[in-house]
Amino acid sequence: MSIVHHPSEAWLLDYALGNLNEAFEAVLRAHVGVCAECRATIEFAERLGGELLHALPAAQAPGGAREICDEHEQRHNGAAAVSRAHGLGATDDIEQFVQVYLNSSLDALPWRQIGRGLRLCRLSEQDGARMWMLRGQPGTVLPVHGHGGSELTLVLKGAYFCGSEIFRAGDIEDADESTEHRPVITRDGECVCLAVTEGRLRFRELAPRLVQPFVGI
Amino acid sequence: MPNIINLGDGAPDQAAAERAAETRLLERVRDDGDRAAFERLFALFTPRLTAWITAQGCEASTAESVVQDVMVTAWTRAHLFDGSKASARTWMYTLARNRMIDHFRAGERRNRAHDGYATLEPLTREGSEVPERDANRAQVAALLEELPAEQRRILLLVYVEGRSHREIAEMLSLPIGTVKSRTRLAFNRLRKLMEGDA
Repeated sequence: MSIVHHPSEAWLLDYALGNLNEAFEAVLRAHVGVCAECRATIEFAERLGGELLHALPAAQAPGGAREICDEHEQRHNGAAAVSRAHGLGATDDIEQFVQVYLNSSLDALPWRQIGRGLRLCRLSEQDGARMWMLRGQPGTVLPVHGHGGSELTLVLKGAYFCGSEIFRAGDIEDADESTEHRPVITRDGECVCLAVTEGRLRFRELAPRLVQPFVGI
Repeated sequence: MPNIINLGDGAPDQAAAERAAETRLLERVRDDGDRAAFERLFALFTPRLTAWITAQGCEASTAESVVQDVMVTAWTRAHLFDGSKASARTWMYTLARNRMIDHFRAGERRNRAHDGYATLEPLTREGSEVPERDANRAQVAALLEELPAEQRRILLLVYVEGRSHREIAEMLSLPIGTVKSRTRLAFNRLRKLMEGDA
């Protein structure tokens, strides 16, 4: 998987430090699982965290080292959750991905047709962040829209264009209030994306604005 | 420009020696079940971990419990430490970070009293006293001094107080794009300095 588009360092730092809600963390975890470049960035963020820890003035801390040694046996084998797991599974297969993480098949998700060639399924909503699965047919042109907050879109299958950029499987598009775009699904095949949005999308055209209250996007 | 911080093997400076000594302690815990080494590690790390976790908005009793959990993990699972992949302080930091994520989702830490930035920022102010005996602290302060104040502030809010870049944009009334660009500049500057590419 050749990844060209990455989330900004601000997102990766938030991810590395656990400063995100579950929806944004999930989409970043999926990207980081297949992106060596972002994993390296996160490893550096952790290393920097270890150094910055030593810049903090020491707080008063209780003792207890001997008690820990007395009360707990050391283990000498076995994996543990010391390293943080990235990725959403050991597969790049979209059907397996959906089955494992959503406990459903792609076709069984409660899709809503929201325009010609485009279906949408809302997976979750928490702390103002909504997670979506989008499924576009080849050649589908989405309406021009801006954003009322952050949006991360991970391509799971297929590809789409935004202007001169093409986003393929594994890529993340990092959008925010300053971004206005019109994604166009490539003609090669179906495109499936996982997206997390904050705030409402801002559509230029009337038709999507009329549909917006019913879809909740 | 000379490296502000050198994390390579055999670095002559005091801070690098302290870093290497921490890693040797953890290796003794891992390889020999060395209790004295663990007690030393405990004394070195628990005050800093407690300060960091408290700055993230946890009450003192909670911070104590989290730090205790981290140190239990460091003792019982030291066999998972690989000094060729990470220093002891990076490993300990990631243990604490993971424990914090397990204990508290980001939202739960929000809206609590934060004073981490206030306690750390004076380190880098002109004329402030940097304890010479604490080589690590002085070195990190020098590293942070390499950054413009507005970039440093964002980095410390992220690391010390656990603020997301969205929260920081709201706190400082900055466009989200400005926070992203300052974070990128700060992070990449430190990365170059620490990886010896500058």
